[in-house]
Amino acid sequence: MLTAILIVLAGFVGFIVLVGLICIGIYNGLVSLRNRYKNAFAQIDVQLKRRYDLIPNLVETAKGYMKHEKETLEAVIQARNMAYKAEEKAVANPGDPAAMKGLASAEGQLGGAIGRLFALAESYPDLKANENMLNIQEELTSTENKVAFSRQGYNDAVTAYNTKREQFPAVLLAGMFGFGGAELFEIEVEKEREAPQVKF
Amino acid sequence: MDFFGSQEAARRKTSILVVYFIIAVALMILTLYVVAVGTLTFANSRGDNASVGLSWWQPDILLLVSGGTIAIITLGSLYKTMQLRAGGAGIAEQLGGRRLQGNSRDPLERRLLNVVEEMALAAGTTVPPVFLLDNEPGINAFAAGFTPGDAVIGVNRGTLEHLSRDELQGVIAHEFSHILNGDMRLNLQLMGLLHGILLVAIIGYYVVRGSGGGYRSSSRRDKGGGQIILLGLAMIVIGYVGLFFARLIKAAVSRQREYLADASAVQFTRNPDGIAGALKKIGALSAGSRMESAEAESASHMFFGSFRHSLFQSLSTHPPLVKRIQCIDPHFDGDFAAAVKKASRKPPKEKKEDPQSALEGLKRSLGGMAAAGMGESRIPIDPVIVMAAVGAPTMQHVDYVHGLLDRLPEALRDALHDPFSCRAVVAALLLDGDAGIRARQLQVVHAQLGDLSLQETNRLAPLVEAQGAAARLPLVEIAGNTLRDLSPSQYQTFREMVIELVKADAKIDLFEFALQRVLIRHLDQHFHGHKPPKVLYLAIGGVKHEVSTLISALSHLGHADEAESKSAFEQASAAFAVEKVLVMRARGECSLKQVGEALDKLAQSSAAVKKRVLNAATVSVIADGVVTIAEGDLLRAIADSLDCPMPPLLDATRRSM
Repeated sequence: MLTAILIVLAGFVGFIVLVGLICIGIYNGLVSLRNRYKNAFAQIDVQLKRRYDLIPNLVETAKGYMKHEKETLEAVIQARNMAYKAEEKAVANPGDPAAMKGLASAEGQLGGAIGRLFALAESYPDLKANENMLNIQEELTSTENKVAFSRQGYNDAVTAYNTKREQFPAVLLAGMFGFGGAELFEIEVEKEREAPQVKF
Repeated sequence: MDFFGSQEAARRKTSILVVYFIIAVALMILTLYVVAVGTLTFANSRGDNASVGLSWWQPDILLLVSGGTIAIITLGSLYKTMQLRAGGAGIAEQLGGRRLQGNSRDPLERRLLNVVEEMALAAGTTVPPVFLLDNEPGINAFAAGFTPGDAVIGVNRGTLEHLSRDELQGVIAHEFSHILNGDMRLNLQLMGLLHGILLVAIIGYYVVRGSGGGYRSSSRRDKGGGQIILLGLAMIVIGYVGLFFARLIKAAVSRQREYLADASAVQFTRNPDGIAGALKKIGALSAGSRMESAEAESASHMFFGSFRHSLFQSLSTHPPLVKRIQCIDPHFDGDFAAAVKKASRKPPKEKKEDPQSALEGLKRSLGGMAAAGMGESRIPIDPVIVMAAVGAPTMQHVDYVHGLLDRLPEALRDALHDPFSCRAVVAALLLDGDAGIRARQLQVVHAQLGDLSLQETNRLAPLVEAQGAAARLPLVEIAGNTLRDLSPSQYQTFREMVIELVKADAKIDLFEFALQRVLIRHLDQHFHGHKPPKVLYLAIGGVKHEVSTLISALSHLGHADEAESKSAFEQASAAFAVEKVLVMRARGECSLKQVGEALDKLAQSSAAVKKRVLNAATVSVIADGVVTIAEGDLLRAIADSLDCPMPPLLDATRRSM
């Protein structure tokens, strides 16, 4: 009698164990994919910070020549500060929809502001020829490329995570384990899509 | 004991480990059984007055107890082992680690990354990813992974902030010693196995908590409830017994290796102050080397410093701190605070500050430079020395690498550490001298990676070429680390480009082959998952065909003249075995493709076999006493394919290709 109970018990326990192991596998898989996109965002962070650091220099250089364009210059600085703040939020919580959308819109604004600055700079031949300006431009372009590249990597990683999360059987457990959906990093302003390459 | 010997020893230790483990489990079952029988008999005898004799043989209970215990332990060990398949990176992340980006702008992080990079290049391994444990204020570090190729290094926040560059170098050298001594794999197996034993204690703890632990109302305090609490308590006790055995096993296996790693680190850096300084700072810091994370206990044996002061020395995973320092610095008197104060008052031993040692350092790296094809030095290269250096890098290698990295222009260094530009650097490395082929290759770059990457490639190509042939393989090794940051699809595109670039000249040269073995192989493992390596071939017999192919190919590649290649082959064959097992293949029968396949198979042989294979390969490459840079790169690529890290070749009579 005891043996029969034991066998049933063992079978039941074995079943639970199997389910448990499967759950662990799913959990670990999601954790791994989440870490991957978080890591990918860390690379974006490096590139964006580099870009933010270039902008004050840009504005200072331009200020010397564009003495009457205060509004445009200030707009750039303000947009840069907003984007910086938004980026800090995103770094604290990569993939969080609110944070990512905030960053995307701030970056869009910043791209627009920079674009307007460069468009205006067309009418200042001395500024165009300034060596410092040319260096900054080149660095900006190069950084833009790297931002775009790292964004692509991040979006790839987010897509992989979201796909796994939405598939069966992970979809059953994702909510329970606290795996929310991750947001892509897409920038909407068209002007930002091209690197601000002003052909002098 | 050399690299190969310690790999073999580590493998044997694994078998002892299993024996200890089985004994520990058996003792745990026995103890639990005794407690169960005692409890049940006691409980039964309270309920009815009929004298139930204490029968020690109750097969039902034995079955239940052993079944239950084995199930729990197996579960725990299986779970941990499954987790560990994620490799070193998985462990680092579990402990709360964040992977450092190669192009990080934080100066402390940069310093750490530079130190790790230098050590890795000097040792001849791939540059491991570095994880920072932000939430750990103590001074500690660890290395984890199954092979040198998939190792990761983890460092506490405290280590980053409190240690000087020399001390950091000492700690990293210690960790590299673990990687090179074969400790890591053993440590991971330990971790997986012992987790099962620890699980019993954890479950017991939850059982006691779950059954109320005495806070429930007294109406619950019937026999059933009492028995469950008792069982829970029993499990905790048994669990602690298990913990005791687990620590005993860990200690037996790991403690000696800590002394060994310390000694290897001193040899590696030739600077005992570095690692002694780090140990002294651990003693002086209040947080010491303690870890805050709960997960750390199961990995305690993998860390640089111990977590706690054990009551019994035999339970500690690390030798006592004072003893470790005294092994390196015999004058140490046990006063940590004073030692640290004294060290901070001494001016830092930066090599640049002391003109004499700066000159020496310069001479050493110039010596390396001379060997690097910028001239011809007449010091012959000796296969024995090359083999002895495998897994045992020295300060000379570090100096050589340091000099090489210092000479890189900043633009190239930055590009090398940035995933976007790094692809262009690799493309630049593969560009052919012939204008027509080069133009075709640039078209491939454009087609695969786009306009901007093509511009980058053109910009970087002259910088890359100016570095000379000797820098090529180190650049590839650095690139291998940076490119890990690509997304899988970005890597796929990159990989296709590399293959097409190599095919462009319709033949595969030695450097291209070396690049594929070192770069593509490791990145493939990173992106497609690496399985822990199996050892399938314990004797030469199983692989003699592959070895013949390999040595024949090497002999032919190094010598255009048939007689010379035959002589090289024979020398290698003599070095290989007493009886002639190797058969030389004709030039046409051993393409580099076949060599690649042979290497894949040889990677699964035992350390003893690998040693002989590598020895034979070294002899055949060095047969005429002259090593070209390309041959040297090829040899190191072969060593890398066999997971045997070979430091850069120094003091060679080299001709630039």
